[in-house]
Amino acid sequence: MINFENELKKFRPSLEIEDAEEIIYNQDLDDMADVLVGLLKDAKAEENSHQTRIR
Amino acid sequence: MKCYRCGAELTEREYCPNCGAGVKVYKRIMSLSNRYYNEGLERAEIRDLSGAIESLHQSLKLNKSNIQARNLLGLVYYECGEVVAALSEWVISKNLKPEDNAADDYMDLVRNDPSRLETFNQTIKKYNIALNHCHQDRLDMAVIQLKKVLSMNPGFIRAHLLLALLYLNNGNYAKAKTEAQKSLKLDTGNVMAKRYLKEAESMMLPSDAKSSEEKENTNNDVVRYQSGNETIIQPVRTNVFTRSGSIWGIVLGVVLGVAAAYYLILPARIQSMNASFREQISAISEESDSKSAKIGEYEQQIASLNTELEGLREEVGSYKETENTGSAQGDLMAAVSTYLNNPEDMDTIETQMNGIDFNNMDGGASKQFDDLYNAFMVLVGEELSKRSYNTGYEAYRSGDYETAISSFSKAFQYDSTNVDALYNLGNAYYESGDTDNAKVVYDQVVNDFSDTKSAGSAETKLAEINNASD
Repeated sequence: MINFENELKKFRPSLEIEDAEEIIYNQDLDDMADVLVGLLKDAKAEENSHQTRIR
Repeated sequence: MKCYRCGAELTEREYCPNCGAGVKVYKRIMSLSNRYYNEGLERAEIRDLSGAIESLHQSLKLNKSNIQARNLLGLVYYECGEVVAALSEWVISKNLKPEDNAADDYMDLVRNDPSRLETFNQTIKKYNIALNHCHQDRLDMAVIQLKKVLSMNPGFIRAHLLLALLYLNNGNYAKAKTEAQKSLKLDTGNVMAKRYLKEAESMMLPSDAKSSEEKENTNNDVVRYQSGNETIIQPVRTNVFTRSGSIWGIVLGVVLGVAAAYYLILPARIQSMNASFREQISAISEESDSKSAKIGEYEQQIASLNTELEGLREEVGSYKETENTGSAQGDLMAAVSTYLNNPEDMDTIETQMNGIDFNNMDGGASKQFDDLYNAFMVLVGEELSKRSYNTGYEAYRSGDYETAISSFSKAFQYDSTNVDALYNLGNAYYESGDTDNAKVVYDQVVNDFSDTKSAGSAETKLAEINNASD
């Protein structure tokens, strides 16, 4: 048995043309490659700090 | 494929030929992105739009620069009726790859048909209004609004789904099923539509599921109500008359209406129209009679006026004759007066005497007039006769016989012994072609002046006339 109230919550307002610009600007475009590059940077930074502590 | 660090073109090796960065994992991610794109494409080809959206989102999460995946995602959104989401994807695609991008063509298609874009925007706004109605528990209004939305854009899947949910909520399962089926026809993999369809079918009678045409009728013939956790579906007792009661009612109403019109309304109306026509006819005949009477009256007036006119004309004629007589008397008196004042002024006397014509005098001249005239002619007749004779002779010579006849007549009138005037009067008649008067004049010359030279000439002329007539 479908619960009307719960089902209704699943429906979101449709995007209107006036909001298109805002939607485009606010869209999160980061992909896996960006995450990977970030990970590599973090790893490199951590390695540098570790070597500094050893010295 | 380009290096994520320096942007150089990568080779088959697992490091960048330019910067030496390791690209093994990166290449794997790109490969996964392409695999998801292929999966999305396959799903889109069988109209599994929800599945295609999911796969293409995965592809773009792995590689945001997968232009083909992004453009395809825009197309799938457009097919679902989500025009703004579609345009967003195409704009981002164009931003990532400005040259040689199919997104250009897609956006041109939308831009070149502004009315269609406006229609899409209106449907979106109405959908949002309908959703707002739902949240505020105005479900009937929401249904009406959604019907409008779907009439404007039948491909708007979310509107179909919301309408199906509303139908499910108010117990209209057949319509809910129809809407869910429409959604599934547009998007074969839509999970929500499948759930609604399943729910609608589970709530319908077995006979309902067999035929979609009979669904509505069957739905009206049952009573559903909830008893605890169970839904009771009880058929309503019907027979032929109750089932088709409305049709019988309409037929009976039409028959009664026609009968009432035939027996009650029509006769009264015809009677009133006849009475009205009779009144009009009597009014017209009265008017006609009065006009006929007036015409008769006018005709009598015309006859009396004509009679009066004739009398007046006769009176005017008598006045004219009296005037002529009076005028002749006046002229004679004026001529005598002129002579008494100046006997040498023959020109004036001649002019005044020209107005006297014995032929125009009514009943002839009076004795006093004749006496005066004769006495005056003794004094001036010879001179006036000469003048008139000369005038007539000039006219005769110039061929003006009418003037000649008039002048010779005057000359003989002034002096009855002027045989030349009389003879030339006959000649003037003869030359003008009036042989009857010429003969009369010639006869007068022969009879009255038999011992003159003119009498012989007149006889010759008479012989000529007689020979010509023979």
